[in-house]
Amino acid sequence: MTIPGIPILDNKYPASMDLWPIEAKEFNRIYKFYDNLKEGRFTTTKCKKCGYVAYPPRVICPECYSDELEYIDLPRKGKVIVFTEQVRGVPLGFEPPPLIHAWIDLGEDSPVKRLLSRVINCPAGKLKEGDEVQFVVFEVPAHPIEVGKETKMAERVFFAFEPVNK
Amino acid sequence: MNERKACIIAAGVSNFGVRQAHIVDLFQEAAKRCLGDIPALKPKDIDGLLVATSLAGRCSSQTNTAPVVAERLGLRPTSFCTRIDTLCAGGNSGILLAKALVESGMAEVVMVTGAEKLYMPQRWEVFYSELTAGEHDWDCAHGLGLPPPYFALHAKEHMKHYGTTKEQLAAVSVTNYNFGSVNPNAHFQKKLTMEEALNARPIASPFTLYDCCPITDGAAAAIVTFEEKAKELSNRPLVYIRGGSQVSLHSVSANWPGEHLGDWPHLRLAAKKAYEYAKVCPDDIDVANTHDCFSISEIIEMEEFGFCKKGEGGPYVASGQINLGGKVPVNTDGGLLSCGHPFGATGIRQAAELLKQLQGRATNQVQGAEIALAHNLSGLCAEHTIVIYGREPVK
Repeated sequence: MTIPGIPILDNKYPASMDLWPIEAKEFNRIYKFYDNLKEGRFTTTKCKKCGYVAYPPRVICPECYSDELEYIDLPRKGKVIVFTEQVRGVPLGFEPPPLIHAWIDLGEDSPVKRLLSRVINCPAGKLKEGDEVQFVVFEVPAHPIEVGKETKMAERVFFAFEPVNK
Repeated sequence: MNERKACIIAAGVSNFGVRQAHIVDLFQEAAKRCLGDIPALKPKDIDGLLVATSLAGRCSSQTNTAPVVAERLGLRPTSFCTRIDTLCAGGNSGILLAKALVESGMAEVVMVTGAEKLYMPQRWEVFYSELTAGEHDWDCAHGLGLPPPYFALHAKEHMKHYGTTKEQLAAVSVTNYNFGSVNPNAHFQKKLTMEEALNARPIASPFTLYDCCPITDGAAAAIVTFEEKAKELSNRPLVYIRGGSQVSLHSVSANWPGEHLGDWPHLRLAAKKAYEYAKVCPDDIDVANTHDCFSISEIIEMEEFGFCKKGEGGPYVASGQINLGGKVPVNTDGGLLSCGHPFGATGIRQAAELLKQLQGRATNQVQGAEIALAHNLSGLCAEHTIVIYGREPVK
């Protein structure tokens, strides 16, 4: 059965239904994070006044409320603390199952010690606790954005982790 | 004016399940049952309304839900009329706010109601909409929608650090399903055996089907007023809202406040604050409804509430301490596992059960119960909300 979309939304992009962030600079003030992602960098903000590192990136420092922040790089490798392979209820966009979720140790020296991430490029049943995983960036669908009278396509990427030994 | 003391005097719960109903229909069903619980109270006597729903904007295309609900229930609130969104804790947030409203003198009689309509015409949208329930741009963009995988990680960490077993997880499911088997409003009225629980289909390791609460539509409503008004309206024993707390220490999972995922310091803190406010200690709790979204949640909650030592939650639940006759019977109406979890309704469904327990009219009655505790966690365990009820006010 072919199911039509909502007819009046034909050729429209309902961003309210999008599963990825709206990364374009017109719609957030942390677009540098996404620009860095496009260069393969995993970053977050550090306060220039008090030195506090916050994740996710901010517009103000949550400790001293300074808005003088800089982007710093986070570790690109970590170790799997625990993980699970989800076989039921995997949302559209993350199929087919299993969807692998891992709680990753980025190390004691990292300002962000642990992180929850999807693990990709990993066959079912292969991952083990203690495995080394690395940061990986991939393209996600672009969306249209109206800038002035023009409509342009905003390119996007997102990140996950993958096994170091594939 | 004497110092007012808030009481919960009535509650009603709609049938929970996959409902052939609009969210606005569900609110009406719950309100009818709630006022059916207190014949002396008429809709016109209700001057405050708190409406808990989180997915109404998404799944029913309805924001500003409070006036919609007020109108459909025949209410004309003149003190307060507001919607609450704390996802899984919407109902208990409402009860704490209702307490504040009546004790401050701002409102006289408050209805707290909550509902969710989560099932959509096509199944994909149910799961897809849940990508808004955690932090959409961060955790959810990794495919974390419905939370079984996240709590599966909590279970794995608890197993690793404390030796908790799959059988101990299943003991929670078996206990709660068997409590729910006699609850006509529950999503499932099913007796569950240990064998069935252990052999159920996998969801996200170590979770199988009965470790996870179902996706559920439903509504619940309750009435909160102050002691003197409560005596006018009802001949039943009074049930006081003694106190509570709400604690949020983080949101994105990377900022988890514990040593590991089996360690819930934000719940420990919330419990300490709620006990202090209500002037009770863990040994005073006679019956509890703690947030059993997953089997592991209830195990960790038993520890953080101080019903057993940290790390001993597994053996504690498996030895029957959560059943009738145990140290603290928990989720005696079936909890989230058996009743289901329409987010905004859940805390009020818990209140309905604990009200009956403290008035001696529950189906799975804990004899002589005097102090009761309700608890919700919200979303990816980002917030904890606690309400403590008692037959006596705080003195």
